[in-house]
Amino acid sequence: MKILGRNKLITPVIIQTLKTHPVILALIALLVIFSGLYPERFLTPLNFKTILRQFVTLTLFALGPSIVVVTGSLDLSYVGIWMLGGILVWLLMPILGMFSILVIPLLGLGTGLLIGVIQVKAKIPSFILTLSLLVTYSGLTATLSGGYPRSVRGYEFITATLIPYLLTAFLWSIPIIIVAVFIMKRTRIGTYLYAIGSNEEGARLAGINVDKYKILAFTLSGLFTGIGSIILYQHLGGSAPVELNLMTVVWPLVAIVLGGTPLIGGSGGPQRTILGALTFTVFYRGLYLSLLHPEMIQLLVGLLLIVSIVVSARGLKGVTIT
Amino acid sequence: MAGLLLYREWFRRNMTTVGAMVFAIAIIAGFQVIIPSFLRYHGIITLVYAMSYFLIAALGLTFVIMMGSFDFSVVSLLKLAALICVLYIDKLGFLVIPLALLISVGFGFINGLLVTKFNVPSFMATLGVSIVVEGTALYLSKGFLHIMYDKTFRALATTFIAGLPSIFYWAMGIWIVSIFIAMCLPFGRRTYAVGGNLIGAGLSGINVARHRIYVFMLSGLLAGLAGVLYMAQLGGGSMEIGADMAIPLFASVVAGGTALTGGVGGPHRTLLGVIIITWIEAGMLMLAIGHDIQMVVFGLIAIGMSIATIDRRRIKIIK
Repeated sequence: MKILGRNKLITPVIIQTLKTHPVILALIALLVIFSGLYPERFLTPLNFKTILRQFVTLTLFALGPSIVVVTGSLDLSYVGIWMLGGILVWLLMPILGMFSILVIPLLGLGTGLLIGVIQVKAKIPSFILTLSLLVTYSGLTATLSGGYPRSVRGYEFITATLIPYLLTAFLWSIPIIIVAVFIMKRTRIGTYLYAIGSNEEGARLAGINVDKYKILAFTLSGLFTGIGSIILYQHLGGSAPVELNLMTVVWPLVAIVLGGTPLIGGSGGPQRTILGALTFTVFYRGLYLSLLHPEMIQLLVGLLLIVSIVVSARGLKGVTIT
Repeated sequence: MAGLLLYREWFRRNMTTVGAMVFAIAIIAGFQVIIPSFLRYHGIITLVYAMSYFLIAALGLTFVIMMGSFDFSVVSLLKLAALICVLYIDKLGFLVIPLALLISVGFGFINGLLVTKFNVPSFMATLGVSIVVEGTALYLSKGFLHIMYDKTFRALATTFIAGLPSIFYWAMGIWIVSIFIAMCLPFGRRTYAVGGNLIGAGLSGINVARHRIYVFMLSGLLAGLAGVLYMAQLGGGSMEIGADMAIPLFASVVAGGTALTGGVGGPHRTLLGVIIITWIEAGMLMLAIGHDIQMVVFGLIAIGMSIATIDRRRIKIIK
């Protein structure tokens, strides 16, 4: 009898999962389409390895900001932390030795704290604050590096192969993802952040110290970006780029929105961002392997961003948005 | 006594304008002391060239920020309009100008539609649109550098009248028209009303959604116009047009005193902000300070001026 009940449950559970995560359908559809169109290029071990590689990069960038998006704000500073952190490692190498890699998470922590305090106290819209900070950081990076990417050796152990055929960067990203999801789903911090995102005034009236938790959200975002950047730093050969590319800023945003975290806040979170990152990577790789021009791919990425924002903002009638 | 009170009231109201003016004069004087050749004739011509198209683009952004929204796509639309001009001038002649403006207005319309009908936050909608625009520009230009050979087209911006290039008169004309629109026409007053209180504006009978679409279209139009004149002024360009212009553009609008909350400021103030930003840029270039440090400076100005201009009493929740 019990077994029968469980069997009856399977279908509703699947339907419910698909309802809350419609991006899974998109992911399956994309996989089927691309495998059907050109299996000889898409269904290769090399392609899946590349997908995994890009997925790790994207996830480590998008994880931190998705915590901020849950509160309804936006954090665009991740690429800045990565770039400036990478150059600081190179600068501080002679002084600190091997410990200089720890400067990246410290920078992330400090940046997040700074953004949070300015945003809460001075009340500037977070996107423009973080965008300005991103440009400031990229200018600082270019100045400090002299315009050349500076690579540092000695951190190869971070991405040394542990299990054959599996990227070590991917293995590293698993505990980071688990911690992020745990914080958002199983701790008081996460609950409060969801409350702030869905109704900030209500959260304040319910006795939540909104300012404190918003600062905490930005700080967590910076910290996660910093920790992720350590792995990305070695993942990309012991250096970080010194020139700002708009696309590296936009892709994690696409991953967050595509995953189903609406920009208004209040729902979604890191667990959906992972799905979004995976879907976006498959989408991008599939287009990349097709015969489309690179500029067409960029166009389609822009359209995907617009469509996913529109879809994730559905059902928000009556909410005033500036 | 009454006079003093009036003076105080005036000062409280115009604090940001006075501050911006003092800032501008201090910058000009400072650079003049450091570089004696700063305000010679050739220096001024260079500054006017750097200022004019920038001012036109910034005016469009001012209307959007006045309304409490943000337009990220100004730089991309400028780029697209400039590239359309250089690519199709041989085939279409001067019809490229209406074509470029029409396309810019069309993208502005899409921006407005996404913001009002689909409830997408404006910066995100315009970011998405700007990526599409960049993709289109890359597709059309194939990434090459294109040179404008048409002399009459270039004369649009480079004819000298009374010692100054004609693009300066274009910019000033558009500036005055913008002030007229913002101060005297119902359109401008509605923009202030929507920026001041969106729900209140709706309740007092303004068709808010339609008006916001119009403002985004105006921003697109001015961005397109800036692009056309940019191409006429420089006579060529590639995808690099307007690279890294977004933050200086935004900084010039807030440095003038148009707060991000909307409802205050206006086009008349943007001129001051543009003077501050372009003259800092020119002065730093003359001092041989690189582009990277300039980005740091503009980023910090953008943050600092946003903090200085925003009216914190009015907002309870900021995202």
